[in-house]
Amino acid sequence: MSLVFDRVSYHYPGSSQGLHDVSFEVGDGELVAVIGPSGSGKSTLLKLVAGLETGHSGRIALGGHDMAGTPVHRRGIGMVFQSYALFPHLSVQDNVAYGLALRGQPAAQRRARARELLEVVGLADYAQRAIAQLSGGQQQRVALARALAIDPRALLLDEPLSALDASVRGHLRDQIRALQRRFGATTLLVTHDQEEALAMADRVAVLKDGRLLQMATPRELYERPAQRAVAEFVGLSTLLPGRVSAPGRVDLGFAELAAPTEGRAAGQAVHLLVRPEHVLPDPAPGTPNRLEGRAGAARYLGSITRYDFEVAGAPRPFLAEGHAPAAQAIAVAPEHIRLLDD
Amino acid sequence: MVRGISLVYGLYLLLPMALLVVGSFGQSWTNTLLPSGLTGHWYADLWADPSFRKAFVSSLTVALAACAIDAVLALPLAYALYHGARRGHALASRIVSAMPVAVPAITLGFGYMIVFNTDAMPWLGSTPLLVAAHAIATLPYLTNTLLTDLRHLGLERLEQAAATLGATEWQRFTGIVMPSLRQSLLSGLVMVAALSIGEFNLSNLLAGFQNRTYPVVLLQAFYGATGFACAATVVLLLLACLAALLSSSALRKSS
Repeated sequence: MSLVFDRVSYHYPGSSQGLHDVSFEVGDGELVAVIGPSGSGKSTLLKLVAGLETGHSGRIALGGHDMAGTPVHRRGIGMVFQSYALFPHLSVQDNVAYGLALRGQPAAQRRARARELLEVVGLADYAQRAIAQLSGGQQQRVALARALAIDPRALLLDEPLSALDASVRGHLRDQIRALQRRFGATTLLVTHDQEEALAMADRVAVLKDGRLLQMATPRELYERPAQRAVAEFVGLSTLLPGRVSAPGRVDLGFAELAAPTEGRAAGQAVHLLVRPEHVLPDPAPGTPNRLEGRAGAARYLGSITRYDFEVAGAPRPFLAEGHAPAAQAIAVAPEHIRLLDD
Repeated sequence: MVRGISLVYGLYLLLPMALLVVGSFGQSWTNTLLPSGLTGHWYADLWADPSFRKAFVSSLTVALAACAIDAVLALPLAYALYHGARRGHALASRIVSAMPVAVPAITLGFGYMIVFNTDAMPWLGSTPLLVAAHAIATLPYLTNTLLTDLRHLGLERLEQAAATLGATEWQRFTGIVMPSLRQSLLSGLVMVAALSIGEFNLSNLLAGFQNRTYPVVLLQAFYGATGFACAATVVLLLLACLAALLSSSALRKSS
């Protein structure tokens, strides 16, 4: 069942925050992550789908049906909250069966279904426990089982992992993704963690100030960001202002580099984007785009060291990574440079 | 320092009660630090006095009835105030919070005396009116307790979760809100029971001869023997504890 946003706008009364003309589609069984800085409108988007906020303009349709007039409790949408929102007065099993009880399923049947889902999330032995006896990661798995139990027409995940320890997060991330695939649930994931979005989603939508900046696969988003704001938000990078000096050449003021200018006219202002993994340490003399300088601050991260490399005259250092910082020069292959229009 | 203050305060609080208990078993107590002689006959006298027995039952009835009415009224009231306050209608919730402090019970009592002493509504002195007055005077205390807990628990999130799972507004209230508030309802009702048992001003103005509450009758005991007065007061203390116990256990059973 596909979820369609068609020119959706929403304004919080007395505030400039909200959504402006957002359009995109989540395909049947697809997981789309919505990322953006806080205040970008990503949570609003989720609340509108769930029906927890109302009064938008434009159209939000699930399975071709506009949901504007449908109240929250009739939408049949499973939602997982950042704070888990489990019912503290019910056991684990009764939490999972809650939605089924509301649908009037007989006790034996809903108990069986709750068991089945707890089995799926690996918590079958915890069915009779009180919620307070579970760890954060376990609670979030119960919340997921509870949302899936009602056979939702779509699944909404609101920062599902951000309240958890890093050690639990990675594992649970894979588990959520596997379950989402298994149930074929059309899913919208809201997160401020871009790494989480890239790792889990089929496609990622980047929101800023209530506008959709780009919607693409994680790879395309990282490798071919459509604009500066996207490049700044997704992944680490060095962004430097410059000007096209000739076809295939960009003048940065302190150096001129070879780069794919892709038909841009000479004199056009651009930003040059370089990802840290594409910075070559100490290239042989004569390598294209070789820049001399010296290494600055270094952060040892275990498998790699991330460091700044300062080039005389550059407005900011290049961010690079490798086994060890470059000693006296770096280079970036022209095909690894990406130009972004201002 | 803190321990010292607590100790002095504790003594200040408990000493009168301890003296009451001691006095209630004393044969005679006039112009001495402690009473002389040991006896149980003040309690026997109290038991034999029909007006005290009647007042005992009357107080317990009024307190439990007030608890029942408050429980039915306060839950929806607190819930409505909680949601209203979130939408910016904080004034209503502030009025309810401030009411018991700002309006003395005696004001309510005089109002009732005027309104219910008419030919159209000649109910002054009736038990239902007494119960209603107690319920209204104690309601804000219970509502406040519930309101504080509603804010503290962050029930909004749980209600949203329940709504996405298919719960109507009524199902959210009965299935999520009410069970979550059980503990604070319990402690709030204990407070209501204790307040109602100890309430004097309203009862003195509104009660008829047949349904005088315990504190009203108790006042007369102080015109007689000290030992009798002490014994009667100790019983009031026990009565307050009993009402609190009954109201909370009744609720525990019903949920």
